[in-house]
Amino acid sequence: MIYADNAATTKISDHAFEKMLPFLQEQYGNASSLYSLGMKSRQVIEEARSKIASAIWASPNEIIFTSGGSEGNSCVLSSITDGHVITSSIEHPSILNTCRALERKGIDITYLSVDNKGLVSLDDIEDAIRPDTRLVSIMLANNEIGTIEPIQEIGKYMRQQGILFHTDAVQAVGHIPVNVRELCVDYLTASAHKFNGAKGVGFIYKREGVPLKSTIFGGEQEMGFRAGTENVAGIASMGYALEENIAKMTKIADSLVKFVQATIDGIRAKVSDILVNGDPNNSLPGIINIVFNGVSGESLMHLLDLKGICVSTGSSCSSRNETSSHVLMALGLSEKQAKSAIRISYGRYNTMQEVDTIVSTVCDAYKKITGADL
Amino acid sequence: MESKVCYVCGKENLTKNEIGLTKKLLSKGTKRLYCLDCLAEYLEVDVEFLLEKIEEFKTQGCTLF
Repeated sequence: MIYADNAATTKISDHAFEKMLPFLQEQYGNASSLYSLGMKSRQVIEEARSKIASAIWASPNEIIFTSGGSEGNSCVLSSITDGHVITSSIEHPSILNTCRALERKGIDITYLSVDNKGLVSLDDIEDAIRPDTRLVSIMLANNEIGTIEPIQEIGKYMRQQGILFHTDAVQAVGHIPVNVRELCVDYLTASAHKFNGAKGVGFIYKREGVPLKSTIFGGEQEMGFRAGTENVAGIASMGYALEENIAKMTKIADSLVKFVQATIDGIRAKVSDILVNGDPNNSLPGIINIVFNGVSGESLMHLLDLKGICVSTGSSCSSRNETSSHVLMALGLSEKQAKSAIRISYGRYNTMQEVDTIVSTVCDAYKKITGADL
Repeated sequence: MESKVCYVCGKENLTKNEIGLTKKLLSKGTKRLYCLDCLAEYLEVDVEFLLEKIEEFKTQGCTLF
């Protein structure tokens, strides 16, 4: 099996996996308990909080653990109870669907369009701002096409305007340098399974002093912002996973850039009628989104699956739906083109040999579907 | 109703699964339909594997089957 859907999720690293194990059967204490077993869990959680804070240039008291990206995004946006919110049309469903829920509560939402590379314009944000704008939420990097948004530029402007600014960094954290101070964000959300940690755990960065409304009621865990017994094993391993990915980031990114170029060059050598989406000069390493004109992306994905290769069509969260990718449509692609796209996303465990296999298998599958003689 | 025929071997009365699988794996608009044996040969996979895939697609709620 060749796994090339690392934008959907990643394999937990051996190191992060090993770091989980003691907290499942040996040190299983509740971190809120006051005896030694519980205090050990508390200590591990605080160590992970420090590691994660350090990784994104935050303070430990600005890190709140969650169950993952969707919870984090939902929690930040749900803190807004009136006025106006600005976001983009290419956000993850956890943002867009939370915005729709806010609309039902009477909050106005502006969904900004993007250019053909997927970039949000600061000018558009400036034009959209109203006296009652409470929050701007723009993703750091897009999960389907990899485009990195100008978060620092937007963040500086928002800070001047005194408007709260959130970035969904689920796809970026652990893959590109993230410094919350430089980005000037008030909130940032991330998820461990995107950076070789475990599923079911993530975090919110909340700048000290900015408001956040608890959406889960219960105990006083996570400084009162997120009730519920902490996922000690997941949190512990997340700290190690992020630390490990950051230590290896440059080396991994160098490999991924080569993999992407080899994939595009290899496919283009045999299939000319393709369109590569996103911003080639400003993209997450490892993500390629390609339209194969005249071919169903879903069929291509399934033929690759028959050969043991995992890629996605549209986005991983919506590939069961018949609808076209909202991200690709926002770039200006036709519905037909959007349905002809696949996303290949490489990660740290892929090899150039696998890339070669993917290229030849994609070309073979294209030939089977179209009957073309390549 | 017109009988659906395998493009390769000429097998008549292709089943709903055979028609659905051809459309799923090649193109929804394809005029070239395959019986299960010929599709397996064309795609260079086992028939049993394709049968497993049919069940997976049904589980996913695919309306082609």
